[in-house]
Amino acid sequence: MAAGWEGGQQRARAVASSIIRPFVRSAVLPSVWLFLACGSPGATSRNTLVDSRDIYDPRSLDPALSTDVPTGRAVGYLFDGLTRFDPEAKVEPALAERWDVTPDGKTYTFHLRRGVRFHDGTPFVAKHVVHSWQRVLDPAVKGGRGEPLYPIIGAREYAAGTAKSINGLSAPNDSTIVTQLTEPLAFFPKLLAMPVAAIVPLNPPPNFDEHPVGTGPWKLVEWKHDDYLLFSRFDAYYGGAPKADSLRARIIAEPSTAVAEFESGNVDVLQIPAGEASEWEADESRKSLLMSTPALQLVYVAINTTRGPLTDARVRQAINHAIDVARINERLISGRGTLAAGVIPPALAGYDSARQPYRYDPARAKELLAAAGHPNGIDIELWTSTNPIFLRIAETIQAYLNASGIRTKIVQRESAAARGAARKGQTDLFIKDWYADYPDAENFLYPLLYSGNAGVGGNVSFYSNPAYDRVVTEARRELDEAKRNMLYRQADSIAFQDAPMVFMYFYNELYAVQPWVKGFVPPVIFNGQRWLNVSIRHDPRP
Amino acid sequence: MSSFILRRLLLAIPTLFGVLVVAFLLLYVAPGDPVQSMIGERADSATITRLRAQLHLDDPLPVRFGHYVGSVVRGDLGRSYITNRPITQDIRERFPKTMQLAGAAMLLASFLGISLGILSARNPGGFADRFALGLAYLGISFPVYWVGLLLILLFAVTLHWLPPSGYGGLRFLILPALTLGMRSIAFLARMTRSAMLEALNADFVRTARAKGLTEWTVTVRHALRNAMIPVITVLGLDFGAYLTGSILTETIFSWPGIGRYVVNAISRRDLPAIQGTVLFLSTVFVLVNLITDLAYAKADPRVSYR
Repeated sequence: MAAGWEGGQQRARAVASSIIRPFVRSAVLPSVWLFLACGSPGATSRNTLVDSRDIYDPRSLDPALSTDVPTGRAVGYLFDGLTRFDPEAKVEPALAERWDVTPDGKTYTFHLRRGVRFHDGTPFVAKHVVHSWQRVLDPAVKGGRGEPLYPIIGAREYAAGTAKSINGLSAPNDSTIVTQLTEPLAFFPKLLAMPVAAIVPLNPPPNFDEHPVGTGPWKLVEWKHDDYLLFSRFDAYYGGAPKADSLRARIIAEPSTAVAEFESGNVDVLQIPAGEASEWEADESRKSLLMSTPALQLVYVAINTTRGPLTDARVRQAINHAIDVARINERLISGRGTLAAGVIPPALAGYDSARQPYRYDPARAKELLAAAGHPNGIDIELWTSTNPIFLRIAETIQAYLNASGIRTKIVQRESAAARGAARKGQTDLFIKDWYADYPDAENFLYPLLYSGNAGVGGNVSFYSNPAYDRVVTEARRELDEAKRNMLYRQADSIAFQDAPMVFMYFYNELYAVQPWVKGFVPPVIFNGQRWLNVSIRHDPRP
Repeated sequence: MSSFILRRLLLAIPTLFGVLVVAFLLLYVAPGDPVQSMIGERADSATITRLRAQLHLDDPLPVRFGHYVGSVVRGDLGRSYITNRPITQDIRERFPKTMQLAGAAMLLASFLGISLGILSARNPGGFADRFALGLAYLGISFPVYWVGLLLILLFAVTLHWLPPSGYGGLRFLILPALTLGMRSIAFLARMTRSAMLEALNADFVRTARAKGLTEWTVTVRHALRNAMIPVITVLGLDFGAYLTGSILTETIFSWPGIGRYVVNAISRRDLPAIQGTVLFLSTVFVLVNLITDLAYAKADPRVSYR
């Protein structure tokens, strides 16, 4: 769902913000800070944790339909998978207490936790796993997000409606699940922590999406569409009940409104928009509220390697050399980015800290262009969605490219239209981001650049290099961690040389957290924070 | 009268059919694939093909349109591609909230706007007139998002009198209603002023005064009633516009109304949701216009419908 997440974020920001934000930035914000100096509340009398991060209504609370960030987060509160992520995005046991893998890497045996109960008291057993996963893949559910389960033998056939059961999935007894994979896949346990693989009761009723029953730490109290979701603590949670009584996830479409709610003390956690980070960091009274985390998000410009002069790697390298990414990072996103020299984020194994990003060098860019047979430059189109940050980055890139003889025309389309065009291969350059589904380098290397994923699979560079494909395929199968990480690094290096994209930056998210909130750790991955250890402190701080 | 209403309602059917055709065609030519929105960015083509077939997206356009019109006639607006919930249920949930906001905005606007207009007309060039003029300029020229955010800053963040956003009791309604109604207040004040000026100089007002009626009765019973026609026009049009969703106001104040619903549906290419809401909102608009026309007759006995 990688960029399902990404697409969602981008979409909602584009919708609400593209209309409002430019004005907010130029006119309202300065006055905001002026006004706000008048006072921040020092304590709260609430007992409910309030989150403000959802910018649109979850699609559903049914894990089988989970494709966007608000849905994925809520599913994480209500349900458990066999595994889960902690805030640092480490995979840890959840409904599976532990698991073994055969030496060939193809058979995983999950030993399930005993004594776990659903919110309605039903004991959790192995057949729930089988049923849940069949349901996700069932064509009648129209979810379409069964991909994390595709590695299991027979899963694809079941999803296509050509098989009656999933051959590679069995429950030999109430507390064991055996999965046989079509090929070794070292990060399989990580896939099972994705919301779509969460475990639901047998035969969920038709209104399950609004009245979910799971084994997760929170129960749903009510869901007011486009307004909020209210959860209460599930006291019998096997991992120990959450510290707070209840949790309210508010849906606030406009970031400036979320800021106002934070300033009024009505919400506890705020995700600060990229363009506003420096204003928060510069404010002494606010600095102490800030928390930063390296989100697994890559912002890049896909270069379609099958179009005109862009088929030549030298031209693509020239484009990389022509853009001063460091300056863009500093000026447009308050330096919140870590410059990219490949697609693997620094937070993940396989990242190569020794590899340096493309140097900003317009002279070198012109040389490369001339060497590729374009001494008089080239003409290209740079596509962008209405996301305000992307639009400003696109304008800056345009200026840099024009200066190096790469005459660039910006094409701006609404997100769904821009994405559609890129998938069909109609874009030269397309600025976008990618937010990881699961914390593994593979989740960047494989969808973004593997030739088999060209187009709808996520590779909108249409990059195809057999050497790269081979290394990535080998890495996916490699069970030895050190070897796998080496292969990841090697693949990343090949892609970096071939430059099927402008490597921009990995975004480090900035959060503001109220002083009365205890125990909140900003999550590296969207479903990594389930508010178990977060509480509200009522005694005023000294 | 009742035959007039019936005729207007019958005439609404071709109008709504036209709306349906246009909405359908626009979505057909608009780029962006609903299935890709359903399953997120990383997809496999087998799933896409299967879902397209399940949703009948590959059927010829006339067939799809025929199916849709068929189910609409049976009162079924279909289910959302994205949430799988019935569109009618979604509309039932959101529309009352939009109505609440629109109603509050119109109430505020008619009370403040008409009062200001009367005060201005009573003493042209006086303090009240100049105050109302200033206010009207601001109301018309300030964009909604700007006013909305300023109101939040002042009344919520700084003074803590009202909540910044959200849906709930009267406290939550005041700021969005004021924001939404502001343009109408300004418009109505100006409209009422000029209509009142004309009416106050008319012969029947002189007659009324000569009869010895109080100034209040002269102004409200005689002059205002005659000045109401243009005012009702503005009220009706604005109310229709507000009922069909006020995207900016709803977004700024996190108001869970129909405007935000439509915008979300559009960005996700949720065809049944878009078509259903467009059809529903067009019906609302047609009805509000009809009611406006009927109100003319109520205000001015010379207007009658047969």
